[in-house]
Amino acid sequence: MKFGHLLRLACAATVAAALAGTAQADDKVVKIGAIFPMTGNAASAGIHAKYAIEVALDIINNAHPELADLPLAKNAGLAGLGGAKVEVVFADNQGSPATGQNQALRLITEEKVVALVGAYQSGITLTASAIAEKYGIPFLTPESVAANLTERGFKWFFRTTPIATDFVGVYYDFLMGMKAQGAKVDTVALVHDNTEYGTSVAGTLAAGFKEKGLTILDIGYVSNATDVQSQVLQLKEKKPDVVLMISYTSDAILFAKTMQAQDYKPPLLLADDAGYSDPSFLKAVGKLSQGAFNRSAWSVGPPGSPSAIIADMYKKKSGDEMDDTAGRDMQGFFVLVDAIDRAGSTEPAKIQAALKATDLKPSQLMMGYKGVKFDEKGQNILASAVIIQLQDDGATYLTVWPKTNAVKPPALPYKGW
Amino acid sequence: MSMSGKLMMRRLIWPATLLAIVLAYPLVFATPFQQRLGALVLLYAIAASSWNIVGGYAGQVSVGHVVYFGCGAYAAMGAYAHFGASPLLGLPAGIVLAVGIAAIVGVPTLRLSGHYFSMATIAVAELIRLVVTNTDYLGAAVGLSGPTVPRTIFDLSFISALPYYYLFLIVLAITLLITWWMTNSRMGYYLRAIKDSERAARSLGAPASRVKLYAFMLSAGLTSVAGALYAMMFGFVDPDSGLGLLISVKILIMAALGGAGLLFGPLVGAAILVPLEEISNSLLGGKGAGLTFVVYGAIIVLIARFQPGGILTLIKRQAERRARSSAKERPALATGAGHAP
Amino acid sequence: MSFVIVQVIVGGLLLGAVYALFSSGLTLVWGMMNIVNFAHGDFVMLGMYAAFVVFTLFGVGPLGGVPFATLLLAAIGVVVYFALIRDIMKGPMLAQILGTFGLALLLRYSVFWWFGADFLSLPQNIVGGTLAFWGLRIEAARLLAGIVALLVTLGLHLLLTRTALGSRMLAVAEDPTAAQLMGIRPDSMQAIAWAIAAGATGLAGALIATFFYIVPTVGETLGIVAFVTVSLGGFGSVPGALVAGLLIGVIEQLSGYLIGAVYKDIVVYGLFLSFLWFRPQGLMGKNS
Repeated sequence: MKFGHLLRLACAATVAAALAGTAQADDKVVKIGAIFPMTGNAASAGIHAKYAIEVALDIINNAHPELADLPLAKNAGLAGLGGAKVEVVFADNQGSPATGQNQALRLITEEKVVALVGAYQSGITLTASAIAEKYGIPFLTPESVAANLTERGFKWFFRTTPIATDFVGVYYDFLMGMKAQGAKVDTVALVHDNTEYGTSVAGTLAAGFKEKGLTILDIGYVSNATDVQSQVLQLKEKKPDVVLMISYTSDAILFAKTMQAQDYKPPLLLADDAGYSDPSFLKAVGKLSQGAFNRSAWSVGPPGSPSAIIADMYKKKSGDEMDDTAGRDMQGFFVLVDAIDRAGSTEPAKIQAALKATDLKPSQLMMGYKGVKFDEKGQNILASAVIIQLQDDGATYLTVWPKTNAVKPPALPYKGW
Repeated sequence: MSMSGKLMMRRLIWPATLLAIVLAYPLVFATPFQQRLGALVLLYAIAASSWNIVGGYAGQVSVGHVVYFGCGAYAAMGAYAHFGASPLLGLPAGIVLAVGIAAIVGVPTLRLSGHYFSMATIAVAELIRLVVTNTDYLGAAVGLSGPTVPRTIFDLSFISALPYYYLFLIVLAITLLITWWMTNSRMGYYLRAIKDSERAARSLGAPASRVKLYAFMLSAGLTSVAGALYAMMFGFVDPDSGLGLLISVKILIMAALGGAGLLFGPLVGAAILVPLEEISNSLLGGKGAGLTFVVYGAIIVLIARFQPGGILTLIKRQAERRARSSAKERPALATGAGHAP
Repeated sequence: MSFVIVQVIVGGLLLGAVYALFSSGLTLVWGMMNIVNFAHGDFVMLGMYAAFVVFTLFGVGPLGGVPFATLLLAAIGVVVYFALIRDIMKGPMLAQILGTFGLALLLRYSVFWWFGADFLSLPQNIVGGTLAFWGLRIEAARLLAGIVALLVTLGLHLLLTRTALGSRMLAVAEDPTAAQLMGIRPDSMQAIAWAIAAGATGLAGALIATFFYIVPTVGETLGIVAFVTVSLGGFGSVPGALVAGLLIGVIEQLSGYLIGAVYKDIVVYGLFLSFLWFRPQGLMGKNS
């Protein structure tokens, strides 16, 4: 009886408190909503996205003259809005499209954010941006790569990251470059999981490569595998020239360990970001994956350069080296805030117009894109990537291709351990 | 007013208050998020009440019930994705599919004893989820999307949560009505006997296998309606959100927390768990420390520990106690001028 | 026939032994106390983190990690038993699912809160490296886990069938009232059973940590494997869990190699369901 009483009182109190709604937005503060996975299997990526955005907030809200060309770095706050500060409200999507949409609704209607950024998992970006579209709030995704996101005819959706169709070109040119150096690149094994990331990227790459005359070997596996020995044995048997890994962190770690156990070293190992860029992966099995190629739009320049300063700030905040995904999150956020600054207003329609008019040059970016310019579908047509290679310390990636960006020439064959 | 009149008033006060609260909720708590929360509670209540038919009343704990939820969700989205039709047209298809699968699955599995039955339902659900993940026609891992821009009212793609709320309320009322009708029918009578002791019921001539199967099929059909409504509200379904085991477990614990085998148990459970999850997420989720689920898990553990029969049984017991104590007073009245004109 | 098939089968056996190892605790409590433990996978996860902590603090591998994890989990098991299990055991199966599901979330996200979401790992060759003989390549860490699985299965089986404690535990499982009348205290026996099961699970986790990644959500994946293993083997049968685990491991790896990994779980679940049709009590379960 007592417990029941207490429980009912507690319930009523909590519900009342939480439903009371939050305070109205301050005029001198620009609120942006950020929806990311903070729990569940992808929590590592979400939490790193949070760190990246917090570093960006530091740069935007405080004066950082040493980052000269980066828009918003020079002044404290947004010059276009009279020095207003930017505030981010983070929300957890819990790995569920439903929760992502509910949180998007809450951010829009209760927190009164002027724009949204997120949501990592493409399925969640889909539902969360759908509600933003209905309410006429700009939604920018810095890292969700599903092709259908920009095929919905949305007017309020923008994407800064390159997507699978961009990578077909990047990877193919890279492989041809390696061929010119003497490597054999005729058979490519696409090792991918069965999530929407793995299947859609593998599908796009397979179609693109086949068109260009390469032979494709499809090695699919179930994500969050308990054991990948069978897949490694298949690779060992079929002996492809190139192994292209499209995996999340957990499986990437398993593959690296199993390849060492089975003494399998592909002549060329290329990774599609994701797991292979995760600092956890490098800490766990970096030493077993020396010489692995990866694609990235992030690379650290010489000391004193903006990217080096940012890398430093990020390391201080998160304890980890900046990786490509966190970098893309940060870049997307910068683009969004830059548009708000240029709009000189927090009115959604004006922000939308400013986003459509975005035309950032490479020197204004922290990522290695060719620029930021959105087409009528909201896709950044100047998004690009370079190829990086994991060095012998198993911890550092250096740009090795194309030659114009390369810090070091690519080393072949794949070293492993 | 006569004594029986007063009794009737007293008995109706609670359901009437409940009805008033439920009808007025989205008008009192009128922000979009609060209204959506209410709609979600009702949606999960529909799913949990449907589950209740086989899990609570028949005592067959199906942990893989999400399969039927997925039937509805995929049928609705499939109607749009493949035929350009309104997802609403997929709803009857989803029901037929769910009932069909329940019939096929039910015959071999319902004869398994308790825990094996539950495991078998898990295996079925996972099997179908994996098959769908590998089937391009059903969207594979990418999933199926609904109409991005609503074309007619029948697309059920509203900006406001208010229409969803009242629509789900109607569907919930129908579900509860069907459940109530079933419990008072012969089938319900057999189910109670079977739940008590299947062997005894069989020896007395109850067609146990058939009754359990019908309950299973009925439950599956109603659950698929919940799935279709879910898909229409969120405009998207993929193997995890439509066929993932977590959904089964969620509707199961809602029914359990509220009181399985009781008509309003699942609604009470949903009314507690859905806001709890959304509100704790809203308050704690953004910090990235995982506290949302520490709180959520702890509360569930406490409720399970202290009220294993569910919250509604606690409330019922209190009501009974109060009825008993007031009944003690009645004999004194009855001997008095109680029935004088 | 290609020799690679032998490697696949051997790999499957080793994998299956690991499945049996972390499932043995579950079948013990399920069979003895009829309890459905949705938090089982998270107990394994706790064992993995225990091993990680031991390594980080003392630089010791499984030699230190395993005893620590076993004892720690046994202690946690006792606490969980008295705080939660004893009460929900009296309730229906639903109450048990409710309670253990909440417990799973509580454990998982308490670890998440403390350790963070990152993937952790013990150094690659903390248990030898890879043994190569007869043309096969076997990871020493997995071989160790496999051998321990056999020992644990044997140990638990002997405990239950040959010792006085075991017969007392079985008596309570069979009929708690009768056991009480014979002077056995059901509460103590169940607490002990739960502690032994939790300890075995912690042991499993500590060994798995030598070759698998460590993350708070790993319990989700492993939990469902344990459930399938235990029901295939027959609830309550420790030898059944071993045979079932080995079977599942081999079928998984073979179908993954021959048909494709994306179908392997479909094959396992399909065979599992077909098996239950013919033998509803599992491989070695009791005839109900």
